Amino acid sequence: MKKIITVSLAAMLILSGCGSAPPTKSQANGSSSATAGAQPYVAMDAKGFQFQYWQVVEKGAQDEAKKLNIKITFQGPDNESDVAQQVDMVNADLAKKPAALCLAALSTTALSSQLSKAKSMGIPVIGFDSGVPNDSSGALVATAATDSVKAAAMAADHLFDNQDFKAALTKATTANPVVIGVLSQDATSASIIQRTTGFINEMVAKIQSEPNFANAVEVTGQKKYNKASSSPAKVNIAVSIPPSTVQSDVQNSAQQLLNQKNLIVIFASNEGAADGMLSATNDGSDLNRSTGKYKNLLVVGFDAGKNQKAAVKSKEFLGSITQDPYTIGVDAVLLASKAIKGEPVSNIDTGAKWYDSTNMDNPDIAQLLYN
Amino acid sequence: MVNGEKSGVLEAIRRSGLQKLLALGALLIMCTFFSIFGQNFFSHSAFMNILDASYYIGFMAIGQTFVIITGGIDLSVGTVMMSGALIGGVAYNVWHWPIAFCLVVIVIVATIFGLINGLLIAKLHLPPFIVTLGTQFISLGFGSIVAEVQTQQYPTVNQADGWFKTAFYRTQGGFPMGAVFLLLFFIAAYILLTRTKLGRYTYAIGSNEEAARISGINIDKWKVIVYVLSGFSAGLAGILYAATYTTIVPQTGNGLELYAIAAVVIGGTSLAGGVGSLVGSLIGVFIMTVLKDGLMSMNMQSQWQIFFTGVVVILAVLLDIYRSKKAAQVKN
Amino acid sequence: MGERNANTLTNESQKVLEMLGIDKRFQGVHALKECTFELRKGEVHALVGENGAGKSTLMKILTGIYQPDKGEIVYNGKKVHFRTAKEAQVAGISIVHQELNLMNHLTAAQNIFVGREAKGFMTDDRVINERTRKLFDSLNLNIKPTDKISFLTIGKAQMVEIAKAISFEANILVLDEPTAALTISETEELFNMMNELRAKGVSIIYISHRLEEIEVMADRVTVMRDGQYVGTLVMKDATLDQIIKMMVGRTIYEEPKTKSHVKPDAPVVLETKNLSSPLVKDVSFLLRQGEILGFAGLIGAGRTEVARLVIGADRRFRGDIFVSGRQVNIKCPKDAVSHGIGYLSEDRKRYGLALGLSVTDNAMLASLDDYASSGFINQRKCEQETYKYIKSIDIKTPSSRQIIRNLSGGNQQKVVIAKWLIKNCDILIFDEPTRGIDIGAKSEIYKLMNDLVNRGRSIIMISSELPELLRMSDRIIVMCEGAKTKELDISEADSEIIMKYATLNDVGGKKHG
Repeated sequence: MKKIITVSLAAMLILSGCGSAPPTKSQANGSSSATAGAQPYVAMDAKGFQFQYWQVVEKGAQDEAKKLNIKITFQGPDNESDVAQQVDMVNADLAKKPAALCLAALSTTALSSQLSKAKSMGIPVIGFDSGVPNDSSGALVATAATDSVKAAAMAADHLFDNQDFKAALTKATTANPVVIGVLSQDATSASIIQRTTGFINEMVAKIQSEPNFANAVEVTGQKKYNKASSSPAKVNIAVSIPPSTVQSDVQNSAQQLLNQKNLIVIFASNEGAADGMLSATNDGSDLNRSTGKYKNLLVVGFDAGKNQKAAVKSKEFLGSITQDPYTIGVDAVLLASKAIKGEPVSNIDTGAKWYDSTNMDNPDIAQLLYN
Repeated sequence: MVNGEKSGVLEAIRRSGLQKLLALGALLIMCTFFSIFGQNFFSHSAFMNILDASYYIGFMAIGQTFVIITGGIDLSVGTVMMSGALIGGVAYNVWHWPIAFCLVVIVIVATIFGLINGLLIAKLHLPPFIVTLGTQFISLGFGSIVAEVQTQQYPTVNQADGWFKTAFYRTQGGFPMGAVFLLLFFIAAYILLTRTKLGRYTYAIGSNEEAARISGINIDKWKVIVYVLSGFSAGLAGILYAATYTTIVPQTGNGLELYAIAAVVIGGTSLAGGVGSLVGSLIGVFIMTVLKDGLMSMNMQSQWQIFFTGVVVILAVLLDIYRSKKAAQVKN
Repeated sequence: MGERNANTLTNESQKVLEMLGIDKRFQGVHALKECTFELRKGEVHALVGENGAGKSTLMKILTGIYQPDKGEIVYNGKKVHFRTAKEAQVAGISIVHQELNLMNHLTAAQNIFVGREAKGFMTDDRVINERTRKLFDSLNLNIKPTDKISFLTIGKAQMVEIAKAISFEANILVLDEPTAALTISETEELFNMMNELRAKGVSIIYISHRLEEIEVMADRVTVMRDGQYVGTLVMKDATLDQIIKMMVGRTIYEEPKTKSHVKPDAPVVLETKNLSSPLVKDVSFLLRQGEILGFAGLIGAGRTEVARLVIGADRRFRGDIFVSGRQVNIKCPKDAVSHGIGYLSEDRKRYGLALGLSVTDNAMLASLDDYASSGFINQRKCEQETYKYIKSIDIKTPSSRQIIRNLSGGNQQKVVIAKWLIKNCDILIFDEPTRGIDIGAKSEIYKLMNDLVNRGRSIIMISSELPELLRMSDRIIVMCEGAKTKELDISEADSEIIMKYATLNDVGGKKHG
């Protein structure tokens, strides 16, 4: 017993030795980030690194940082389910006493004590991408993000502009209702929740404004979004969320949707979902307009990426919505730099665009489409 | 002969003690290294971060130490912990139970999984590796089924039931309650391992199960207890995980058991059974978390953390083999 | 060595144990036939016999590990029946098995009191350390109660195990080959301890192959043979030759070879010089073409270890190997096979056969390289080749595709032989070739071995059955404790002389011969 106490005491001492850090060093770091001349340090914590999307965000951020003479670090957890890993990362970043923290939170609740700590340390927090929704700590000063609700509503609007969709919809009866599938990759991410909600709400509103469709839309599949229709449903919006963001799980969920009878539309709410959709359809060849197994199915995607772009180009996807990841990165660093200098900051909508085979090569669109 | 033997014994004891010191030395060297090369690693907040990350691994590793000393293994602890935490979250968010009950739910769920492991291994004589691999998947799925694949949020500090975070994680003043609980549990487990029949039979079973059986020990009973203890530890780990990270995502937790097993192995516990110490395991836990936080302070991404964790585990096992070879030579 | 006080032990009333008419069968094998045994208070009673004579079985019945089919045990004047080892232990009868049953990572004290360390849940090592210290003191043992077993020598560990047995207040202590792994000085320590126990009135049943030790230690000796009681002698009136005669005195069913069948000018196919390893001491021998060279000795004499050095299964510290006069460098079994040396393990189920595979697969296992092209096995050729051997050495199997597990022991052994013949091995090492094979099949294996040497192959045969060695060998090498103690031409060999050299031992060796 004696030995153990000695050993654990020793360990404690050593560690608390690290703990009672000499103030000189941290002070030096703190002041260096504040004083002009030396580079201020901004820590950026993304939601993941799995998708090229984040690399474009990082590129935007790095370019802007170079321009503004700011030092940034950019990291993200191994996958977008790993809340704990992001918490540890934010902890580690706060320990480095950055001048500002840019954050795309996987879960605001999980990070609430870190946000309070940032607040007490006087570190301004800039949200980017999905940002830090519902922050109650007051640490969040501004967000550079796509308005996801608006962006996803755009997808519903474009579907309504499509003649095939309208034709399929009018055929719907209570005996033979049509299905609109929504494939969401993640149940926790606020931006994906907003996209899902934005799409569903806009869809429901638009359909119900059609003649004979009042109160004839129901939403099923996920408790969070479920909505019963007051009269017998002619349209069923089926929401499917895979158990994890792992590609195989996403593909399985896509497959489940594809097995639904009278499926007319699938909305894939991010790059992961679009990729899952493509792998469930034999890399998109089942969606081929003339020969595919699901040739009448209309697929609308979200985000970009090499595969999704190819699918849009070949018309396997009707079209997709893209955010502007590069601008998100740029604006996040811009907001951070302003916040460090104490200038007033406010949220920036970094915008979203509809793209399909007709416009995706236009320069203004093409620059938003990362691979 | 007698003299030679005596010095041999001393030699062996010296050598066997050496490894514990080596692990501690490695920990010190790592702390020094990261303090020099890491960004602000040598600071109070970095120390608190290391503690944060060590709670759940620490609890799992303590239970795992008992299991591995018996010569078994528990691959289910990570998912059992998450399963417990997830179901506790459901009790809180969906069934609206008082938070205290929910915490008890976490421990009960995890302990039941431990009991299932123990019964299958001891009574049906199935290999622990297979049984716990099976319960790993079962617990992974079970938690998600109960939670209907919904992420569960525990209350944050400022919410109604936030006291559970101040009680188990950090006080409002920032005092690390998690460390206190880990230390208390460690001391209890230490007494259990060194001062009770349970501890004695844990070593006895791992050292020579047949000899223990011949000596009239009820092997089955004690094995079940050891796996129940591992489940119970995973349950406590679940409480600390919920308190530290707040958000429990369904279908996660697989892979976390490897951190616990790695910590135990780094601490000098032999996977062959019969040898091991909780002090070593605790040092192992801190080696893992210091490595993780240290690499983050050097802005090295998680792929590097995973990579170096593997390197450390292999170094530890090599050291262990070297040590037992030396001990064998001394004996001959 | 302590002085014997056997002369006081003649009083019938001091009889503590009597085993009468003990009969035991194991799946058709009649292991014990109406066996009798008697033990008096405070005596060291040696129990001797060849391997398989039934000594261990008898002792396992005494200590409750086996149940007798017939017979009764009278202990302290009362008829007893022990259903478990624990019951016997509680009654005061403890056994120390040949192999150690200790937990290496626990201390001496923890081992001795495992299972009874405390009444409650909490243990207190100080209590058992103190009790162990007293126990060790009373036995004059120089071991610290807190020493871990893994840091003790095997001898000391043995002492701990004996102390554990004594700690149950044993009246009768059974020691099964306790000196097998001990050094000379450790053996002496053990004997001192036995003398002290005897002085305290503990009766000791002492099983040993080392007759020299028995001569020094035992008050009386009981000889067993083929599961039967042969007789009991008072040691001071008996000679070792007398005991050996009683041990090997069974009728030898097979006619012993009277002279070597090897031509004196037959070429030497295998020669070893000074083979050494931790278990083998400077063993040199030659093997001529067409010869069967027998290796005699007791279990643990190092015969298998010699074979393993020859085939490169263990690392040799020293020594050279020559095949057909040319020095060869054998580092692993593959090298041995490529030089035409095949080894038939004594434990063929573990090392010789893949039990789940077919006759063909097993027979071809070593030769697949010759029957495969670019990785694909020519199954038809394999079947044909195997079939040839099924015919020529008469393997009784319904087909070459039969799973080995379903064959009898003798036929399994033949498949192993076929494997090496297919690989063109000219030197075959048979380790206990007839173990676990019934009498009828044995003679078939013998016939096959004779055929093989007549066709110019050479055989090394390791066997613990003297009749078998005497019948088959042209020459016999006797080993004891890792060293070659005698080389005998078959014309000068008989059971007694082999037994004498096999039990030749440095302890008190001066007394004999």
